[in-house]
Amino acid sequence: MMWLFKDPVLAAACTGTWLPFLAMLVILIFTRRNQRLSAGISIASIVTSLICAIYLFTKLFHAGVPVQYEVAWAMTPDLYVPFGYLLDPHSLLMLLIVATIACLVQIYSVGYMAGDPGFSRYYAFQSLFAWAMLTMVIAPGMLQLYIFWELVGLASYLLIGYYYEKYSASQAGKKAFVVTRLGDIGFFLGLIFLMLGYGDLGILNINQAAAGHQIPGPLVTISALLIFCGVIGKSAQFPLLTWLPDAMEGPTPVSALLHSATMVAAGVYMMSRIFPFFAASPDAMAVALAIGTVTMLLASTMAMATYDLKQVWAYSTVSQLGFMVMGLGAGGYFAGVFHLTTHAGFKALLFLCSGMFIHEFHTNDMRVIGQSGGRNLKVPMISMTIGALALSGLFPFSGFFSKEAIMGVLAQHTNKVWLFAGLLGALMTAYYSFRLIFFVALPRKLATVPAEDHGHGHGADHGDEHHGNAYWAMAWPVMFLASVTCVLGFFQAPLEQFLTGGHAAAAAHGAGQEGAGHGMGHYVLLAGAIGCALAGLAWAWVEFGRKRAPQEGFLKKFPLAEILFARRWYLDDFYRKALDTLVYGGLTSLFTRNDRRVIDGAIDGICKLTVGTGRMTSFMQSGMLQYNLLVMVAGIGLVLLFFFI
Amino acid sequence: MNSLSTYLILAAMLFCLGLLGVLQRRNLIGMLIAIELMLGGASINFMAFNRFLAPEPAVGQIITLFVMGIAAAEAAIGLSIILALFRQMRSINVERAQRLSG
Repeated sequence: MMWLFKDPVLAAACTGTWLPFLAMLVILIFTRRNQRLSAGISIASIVTSLICAIYLFTKLFHAGVPVQYEVAWAMTPDLYVPFGYLLDPHSLLMLLIVATIACLVQIYSVGYMAGDPGFSRYYAFQSLFAWAMLTMVIAPGMLQLYIFWELVGLASYLLIGYYYEKYSASQAGKKAFVVTRLGDIGFFLGLIFLMLGYGDLGILNINQAAAGHQIPGPLVTISALLIFCGVIGKSAQFPLLTWLPDAMEGPTPVSALLHSATMVAAGVYMMSRIFPFFAASPDAMAVALAIGTVTMLLASTMAMATYDLKQVWAYSTVSQLGFMVMGLGAGGYFAGVFHLTTHAGFKALLFLCSGMFIHEFHTNDMRVIGQSGGRNLKVPMISMTIGALALSGLFPFSGFFSKEAIMGVLAQHTNKVWLFAGLLGALMTAYYSFRLIFFVALPRKLATVPAEDHGHGHGADHGDEHHGNAYWAMAWPVMFLASVTCVLGFFQAPLEQFLTGGHAAAAAHGAGQEGAGHGMGHYVLLAGAIGCALAGLAWAWVEFGRKRAPQEGFLKKFPLAEILFARRWYLDDFYRKALDTLVYGGLTSLFTRNDRRVIDGAIDGICKLTVGTGRMTSFMQSGMLQYNLLVMVAGIGLVLLFFFI
Repeated sequence: MNSLSTYLILAAMLFCLGLLGVLQRRNLIGMLIAIELMLGGASINFMAFNRFLAPEPAVGQIITLFVMGIAAAEAAIGLSIILALFRQMRSINVERAQRLSG
């Protein structure tokens, strides 16, 4: 083992990724009965991972060249499948994000999950999740990425279905797993295509080869499209987006983790990971751009119609993921990754804040929370407002910078439709975010809500002062994330230089010159994006915020549209129908019939044949001496006949 | 009249009658007697061939003597088996002996 510690970078990478796995094993095997110890082990391991990630990030910040440790798992002249660690700027950044968010969520969960009977199990799954995601992030080869990608899916299945005694939760877990698997089939087929056609699954290798046009174009297009199916499933893009809102059945910290840094981010991360490969195929990029746009707009409309706190953020996640895919699809590598980074921060923040409200008021309905005095919880209220401002893309919060970057990329696209779609999305995002904020912060007291005074008093009682450790375990991560959201945007320039590397600095310089040329256009764009966001905010203010506001969205005037949005554009019903007719009615019934008739029939037939022949031959074994003799004589007679005639 | 085929036909008839008896009779002693008939048929065959065809006249007679000796031994063993069976089952019907099949 000494060789391991000779190289501190390798040692840090190994420790950082494998420690959560060890923690999971220890918790599951030894310490399940002791809840505090289990949580301690899990948090200690993820903190160590975080320290390792910070160490790697700072150490390799100026390295320039990717550090790679890999073992060839399968190597023939035609095939190269590496396993190991790849530490390049992108994976280092993602490693840091994942470790940070996972760490914060685990600390937060101490408060949120306190007293839950499955506390140890929860932490074991959290560790599994962290291990899978961290190892996926630093995978040097697509196969390793795929394996851990599936493990991430498994972990999210376990966590979404954490309250397994609740029927809807176990259903939601199953749905998440099955729907993402649907996309993963495409992903895996894409990998097989690539393996057969090119024979190398090293990420850096395929990126270089695709950028250098060493892989034939059709092969790139086909495998990129197939691999994009995996992104569609994992990052909940249209048409597989319905699993994500259902995934809200899990505990809120799980949603925070799932929505910001791990599960859904995995899809976008993978796409940006092999971005040069995607970029080599304009067709695949166009498909990604279109699907991202459709997803973003659809999910935004859905978010306008729901009253469930977590659902709103879930739809906004889908929509923001669509926005990232748009950015990547339009060729903005840095823009997409940067938005992934900032989104991880503010979406985790939003979910953790919602979790505090839900923990306090035991309801997900934003109207009830508002009327029970949600605004008396100062920390989550202020933090959630910051998160919503970032989500809407308003200065100076992190979302502003990354959204701006994506808008800039979209504006450079020749077809301006995408830009207008993006601006429309920004408008709707601001609208639904602040619809929620106003519902919670500026409630209209309605007589229809029972026990209002009690709820209010309850909220006031549990104001900021009288909270125990549980409250502060939740509040600290929230405040930390809020401050990160406030400042992260200003690190855009160093991050860009770090991610795109030294050689791209020249390109950035060129882009800068170009940008100078279109300086006027840039400011128009800036004004347009902020204008859209502000318009959305104002719209929400008119309908929900101001005094004597109706607190009824404009959607109430279009009942048909509201039903359409609330039913998620009938996507679920469509799947239900398709499942019932195609799978249950068609395939499964055929399989059942095949099973009953052919397979069962064949086996039953064999059994009956055996029994029947046994019954028949048992006549011969009657023990009747003279029958035996008769048969013998007849046999001899036949033999004689055969020989002599 | 005094030809080989006459004796062979007689021997065949005796043998077939004996076979019929073995197959058809349910009485064990009857079966034993029928076996003696078959042995007799075989013996006649040997004697006839000996008389008409053999260059060395003694061989067939020796074999016949052996057959008679074996028949005697067989009768002794068979009768003792039948006796044992009778003691066990109070019957010498061969169908009762089916129980021996296990």
